[in-house]
Amino acid sequence: MPGADKETELSERIEAFLSELKRCGSGAGSLRGSAETARETTSLLRRITAQARWSNAGDLMEIIRKEGRRMTAGQPSETTVGNMVRRVLKIIREEYARSRGSTEEADQQESLHKLLTSGGSSEDNFRQHFTHLKANVIEAINELLTELEGTTDNISMQALEHIHSNEVIMTIGRSRTVEAFLKDAARKRKFHVIVAECAPFCQGHEMATSLSKEDIETTVIPDAAIFAVMSRVNKVIIGTQTVLANGGLRAVNGTHTLALAAKHHSTPLIVCAPMFKLSPQWDSALQELVLRSFCFLLPGEILSKVNAHCPVFDYVPPELITLFISNIGGNAPSYIYRLMSELYHPEDHEL
Amino acid sequence: DTPLVIGPSRSSAEKRKQSRPRKAEKDEEEQPLQAVLVADSFNRRFFPISKDQPRALLPLANVSMIDYTLEFLTSTGVQETFVFCCWMSSKIKEHLQKSKWCRPTSPNVVHVITSDLYRSLGDVLRDVDAKALVRSDFLLVYGDVVSNIDVSQALQEHKQRRKMEKNVSVMTMIFKESPPGHKTRCEDDDIIVAMDGKSKRILHYQRAQALKKLHFPMNIFHSGSDEFEIRFDLLDCHISICSPQVAELFTDNFDYQTKNDFVRGLLVNEEILGNQIHMHVTKDGYGARVSNLLMYDTVSSDMIRRWIYPITPEANFADQEGQSCTHSRHNVYREPGVSLGHGSQMEENVLIGRNTVIGANCTISNTVIGANCVIGDNVTLDRAYIWNRVHIANDVKVKQSVICDNVEVKHGVVLNEQCVLAYNVVVGPDITLQEGTVLSMHHPDEEDDEDEDEFLSDDDVGYSKDKTKQKGSCSSYLIMCTKQSAHSVQLFQNEVHGTLQRGLDENISCDNLVLEINSLKYAYNISLKEVMQILIRVVLEFPFQQQGAQISTAQYSSHLLPLLKKWAPVFKNYVKRPQDQMDCLASMEEVFLERETHWAALVKVLMSVYQLEILEEEGIMRWFKQSSTTAKSQQLRRNQGLLKFIQWLEEAEESSEGDE
Repeated sequence: MPGADKETELSERIEAFLSELKRCGSGAGSLRGSAETARETTSLLRRITAQARWSNAGDLMEIIRKEGRRMTAGQPSETTVGNMVRRVLKIIREEYARSRGSTEEADQQESLHKLLTSGGSSEDNFRQHFTHLKANVIEAINELLTELEGTTDNISMQALEHIHSNEVIMTIGRSRTVEAFLKDAARKRKFHVIVAECAPFCQGHEMATSLSKEDIETTVIPDAAIFAVMSRVNKVIIGTQTVLANGGLRAVNGTHTLALAAKHHSTPLIVCAPMFKLSPQWDSALQELVLRSFCFLLPGEILSKVNAHCPVFDYVPPELITLFISNIGGNAPSYIYRLMSELYHPEDHEL
Repeated sequence: DTPLVIGPSRSSAEKRKQSRPRKAEKDEEEQPLQAVLVADSFNRRFFPISKDQPRALLPLANVSMIDYTLEFLTSTGVQETFVFCCWMSSKIKEHLQKSKWCRPTSPNVVHVITSDLYRSLGDVLRDVDAKALVRSDFLLVYGDVVSNIDVSQALQEHKQRRKMEKNVSVMTMIFKESPPGHKTRCEDDDIIVAMDGKSKRILHYQRAQALKKLHFPMNIFHSGSDEFEIRFDLLDCHISICSPQVAELFTDNFDYQTKNDFVRGLLVNEEILGNQIHMHVTKDGYGARVSNLLMYDTVSSDMIRRWIYPITPEANFADQEGQSCTHSRHNVYREPGVSLGHGSQMEENVLIGRNTVIGANCTISNTVIGANCVIGDNVTLDRAYIWNRVHIANDVKVKQSVICDNVEVKHGVVLNEQCVLAYNVVVGPDITLQEGTVLSMHHPDEEDDEDEDEFLSDDDVGYSKDKTKQKGSCSSYLIMCTKQSAHSVQLFQNEVHGTLQRGLDENISCDNLVLEINSLKYAYNISLKEVMQILIRVVLEFPFQQQGAQISTAQYSSHLLPLLKKWAPVFKNYVKRPQDQMDCLASMEEVFLERETHWAALVKVLMSVYQLEILEEEGIMRWFKQSSTTAKSQQLRRNQGLLKFIQWLEEAEESSEGDE
């Protein structure tokens, strides 16, 4: 029974992916960058499209939505998973519309006129069967994958426009995107980088080592010195974990401090973030807390009355950000909402 | 019993085998990591709660304890686990079959092996050896261990050691550094370890047991290395990396029952057999065993306050449907479907299970509430652990207590510290329960009449004092207990006498005497309590047997006291808990009541027994103060010599306390 085998294999893969997610996100397994997670999610979704049983677009969207909910529940802090699911759903809608007829393209945008005239959601729109839908969707997902692979290069290509000679750049923690960005600029320009170490995990140290290997002059400073050093900095370039729907950031802890210091000195804050990090979520009470056993050695009586908090992420409001550099170019934070409506369909915001 | 193999489907198992080609020379390195999980603790610390549900399935922060252990094993890379169950094994098997560990995609293959014959850790390991289940180094844990330690480094060190010196190091124990008095350290489990600083070899291992004097044998100082540490800052995580030799050693030595026996035995026989035990100390990881209710409280609150990251309540690692919770500020976790009444405050460190309804104006802090509970208005919960489907009416106050499934608490009830309400109990309106009350549907006499101490475990030593002081039952049961025939008791008594006689004649060591008496115990099916009583009786009557019944008190004492001294280790083996001391004194009283003429000797006997540290002051005082039922025993207590002795004891107690 090849069909049954395929199905079990598919569900096995999904299970394996889920457990990998849980383990990686909690830091017990090998740490993965968000780009890798995005790529794996997309290939898994492609596999689901290819192997699952569905006859029309509506079914497929249901299946993908269901699996998407499971995957996001597995590791809520890893938002790229949900983002990729929404992208694929949008792709399916587009392909369906294209198969039906190209006049439906403008239909996707919400507008007051449309709300007035349509009245009620167009649910049964997706029940028609098209033979080439599967192939089209898979092709579109392949394009998405190629786009994902090229994001870091696209961002780094813009480096020379933003970094000038003899500038002092500040960054915090370790971001692979920013690392590639700076290394690309270093090929042609000479500049100085200050890295805030980002306690308690001190990822900034690794960033500094890696940058200095490329002959970039690097200085490591503790987080407390950010404000003191900010007056000498020309630009602040940071990476982020997620870009929220309002243009704010969910970034590694310490970024809010950095952003406030930059605002105070009117230093431009540039965020390098590929488009797959854009998430339709708003800042919820989701705060990922890590608690390391630093205080375990306190005497027992005191320890039971002490609560030690060690947050992993910070929320940075959009007013503090100057520019977003993504693989489709530079954008202001106030433009993020438009980008989002191009990437995701409003009905998919809640999976 | 036949093991139930719950493994992956054939196709993926074959795939797994194909993807791992095994070459003959590299066999050792390619072996998947195995683990032995003992899902039974072989003691009764959680009675009467564990009468209805095995300890491994009790919920800690709404997840069964065995799930934590399996998660720890899986995340540290174990690929094959053998779960051994004895008590209520069918429930454990059912739970595991439904859990995520037995899905085909689980990276850890779980085999459940059950048998009713297991009585101790030793039996389990002997079975492991008999069934030849382990191929190389394996992890040994209990079903109630909660940990996030990554043992791969300790495993590397262990393998390295075994390679360097061919198979000399038998076991590596994992400890966590933690200061004395820390609440995650279980008082019963406190250990003192003497170790070689460079090679991390354990030279001496001893239970602290609140002793004031400790003895260290001289040979540990001659260990051949100049770095030597004696540590009291270690917390035993009850996780050990064992080599296959461990199972063989348990089979060879039939009287190794617990891990403590094994470690002591190995260290004592080191020169002969050359086996060594090493240790690994972790500073950052967390590992603890839920061995009693105090530890349950501690580990629960550590879990809620995220000390065991990445195992946290909202991670939902057990993959249960509908159990994912949201984490908000001040460590408040809520599962879906929770409804809170108006004015209720969840202050901090609270976990609320799904579909629970909480009334108005409640104050909840440091609590764990299970699923489908209904809590009324004006309820105060502080450090309470409430399991599933509990109904709590209005105006109830609960402080540091455990309330099990399906309990109904009517209005106005106040539960003071350290109360336990076991399954299906109903507590009536307007009742205040004192500290340390345990309420259960099971009759309390049930457990006392059963064959006590057939289960042997390390935790029986040093019974902690703040457990049950009162026991109440909600319904009565009639228990018929089978009394052994008096005939076999008499035979046993004669045999023990014969053994002691031979011991005296042939100068046999006390350990061998203990062995013989133990084997007689099994042969005649005598309970441990009776063994001790009969032993006392035989020893006390020994001089009469030797020299006739008419000897004077002085002759009696002079014959008896050296015997007591000689056989002191034998007594100490049987007299361990305060209850044993009471039994011992009761039987001494019995013997002397039969021989009125020799009451003066009783004082001398008590004195020498006290000095030999077989009995403690508190035990003797408690026995003395016990109100006696017969006229004769009252008369005994008024004996002059005895009164003087008791007075001397009291003064000695005061002076020893004054010294501190």
